[in-house]
Amino acid sequence: MRKLFKHFLFVSLFIFLNFTNADDFDRGLEIALATDKNFSGFGDSQTNLKMLLKNRKGFVTERKMKMKLLEVPNDGDKSLIVFDSPRDVRGVAVLSYAHKVGSDEQWLYLPALKRVKRVASKNRTGPFLGSEFSLEDLSFQEIEKYTYKYLRDEDLEGKGCYVIKRIPLDPYSGYTKQIVWIDKTDSVILQIHHYDRKSFHLKTQIFKGYKKYLNKFWRPNEIHMINHQTNKTTTLFFEEMTFNTGLSEKDFTQNSLKRSK
Amino acid sequence: MISYLLRRGSRVVRIILFISFCNAVLAEVEIYGEASYENRYFVEEGLFGQDKSHSSFTLSPEFYFESEDQKTSFTFKPKIRRDSVDNERNLFDIQDFSLVKVQDSYETRIGIRRDFWGVTETVHRVDIINQTDQVESFDGEDKLGQPMINLSLEREWGTLDLYVLIGFRERTFAGEKGRLRLPFPIDRNSAQYESSAENLRTDFAIRWSQYYQDLELALSHFSGTSREPEFKAALKNNTNLIIPYYEVIDQTGLEVLYIVGGLAFKLEAISRSGQGDRFSAATAGFEYTQVGILSSSLDLGWLFEFNHDDRYKDSPIALGARLTFNDLYDSQILSGVIRNEETGETNVFVEASRRVRNCCRLSFESVYFNEGTNSNSVQKTFEYLKQDDFARFEFIYYLGN
Repeated sequence: MRKLFKHFLFVSLFIFLNFTNADDFDRGLEIALATDKNFSGFGDSQTNLKMLLKNRKGFVTERKMKMKLLEVPNDGDKSLIVFDSPRDVRGVAVLSYAHKVGSDEQWLYLPALKRVKRVASKNRTGPFLGSEFSLEDLSFQEIEKYTYKYLRDEDLEGKGCYVIKRIPLDPYSGYTKQIVWIDKTDSVILQIHHYDRKSFHLKTQIFKGYKKYLNKFWRPNEIHMINHQTNKTTTLFFEEMTFNTGLSEKDFTQNSLKRSK
Repeated sequence: MISYLLRRGSRVVRIILFISFCNAVLAEVEIYGEASYENRYFVEEGLFGQDKSHSSFTLSPEFYFESEDQKTSFTFKPKIRRDSVDNERNLFDIQDFSLVKVQDSYETRIGIRRDFWGVTETVHRVDIINQTDQVESFDGEDKLGQPMINLSLEREWGTLDLYVLIGFRERTFAGEKGRLRLPFPIDRNSAQYESSAENLRTDFAIRWSQYYQDLELALSHFSGTSREPEFKAALKNNTNLIIPYYEVIDQTGLEVLYIVGGLAFKLEAISRSGQGDRFSAATAGFEYTQVGILSSSLDLGWLFEFNHDDRYKDSPIALGARLTFNDLYDSQILSGVIRNEETGETNVFVEASRRVRNCCRLSFESVYFNEGTNSNSVQKTFEYLKQDDFARFEFIYYLGN
């Protein structure tokens, strides 16, 4: 009996210790919220994107696109991506409305058929244009779409980082968890390890060349995505990023999707 | 084939030179578009003795200009097609010649344009703005340019499109030497119209569309000359001919799309008056995509569609599967079966395509008709196509830089 009691005490103590870690959830959220400051109040932005796709043997191909972003107060952001190359997908465009709560909306425009097609938001986990990025990776990652937990402090390439774990709330996410390295001084994401549905460390995403725009918003110059299963790499370059370009809701409608070039 | 290309060659060179010239003069103008060569190879000789091998060349450059503020744009896209066998498959069409002006609360589009309505994949019932270029492809998704004035308003309550459609384009039909045709040649040029204005009638259309989270809705109405003709038998120069007869119709259309997870439910329904008794027709079905099958990067999409049309005593069903490889070459394979229980017919098709380098695309299509063993009196849909099983290869070069 006494032995059992002792055992019980031990278990309770263990549970108690674990509960004190509830703070780690708060701390994780706090760190994530700090990164979000880079995305609140930016209004709108436009940028050209270049994607370099490298296969296992080092063969490189290029994709080009344009992206427009609009911040929507109290909701997720709106984005419009138009492809420039390869030539057979030129003019194909994707319009997305992200939401803080509930599933996102997404439409695809096929210029050859002049057709706007709604895309089921579940189908966003596969490779995007043959790259290592999925549409999920490229869509705006609202704070409300994850739960967070602080793990530890750690240096990454000489920079002091917080390491947090985030778990997607979207049941259709391609990931079960993501481990995120966040720079302590500038509150920007430096690295993400993506774990797939089998909890296998599938991809590593590295953010490089952060630049400060409008004295306030940090944006990376390039994002690398390394797939550990296929050994393929995709690098996304942001070129000519501009802010306050005068975009409004009207530039993110189905009519604007139809005339995007 | 080579002699054919040589014969046509000088013209092609002239056209390419002309395009280069335009490009130099108008440095601001962007050029897209495509040039393609296709060969259709039929397994058997035609029911009416037509050739087994048909090839064609198509050029459709697109010239695009946009103002600095992106509020005004102009598009010009002619399409020229030359067929080695069937003169009726030769085409000169202006697909687009239009000006788009974006104002604060509305958008005006004037000129020759193409516009698509609809949600389903195998049959497009609601789509009615443009005439079908039927000889271009078996799926009927290629259209001819339509002169119009289109006003589009986007509001809280949805998008409202108003169309004034000026004039009419006749449907294209395979000629006497062409494949996939009826027993008598259809004489496009002798087309008759219900309207006394013939092919110069001004038609009207309106469409409202809106989405509510996972539900997309559209209601439309078209009043004008039917894009789909009735056929009349006629005798001209002692030859039996079929003449298309275009009646004036009123058609109301409904489009519904509802998304649950990865499943999309689709419905297109129409009610049409003006061609005999008022009738309705509908296509309904679903599309489901399995992302990353077998732990790979492949997606497998399933498609099922059910058809009903008051005019016919059958209701064909379509089942399709689309395999997307998500590779560097955007490789994909779409295959499907259309089964008609009443007539006993089965129609099988496979389409595969992939990108070649950064500029081109290679595609393969194969269509197979089986008339089945039903001996009942229901008229068969593909009665005259039973010897028209074919394979088609196409190489597309995309213009631009």
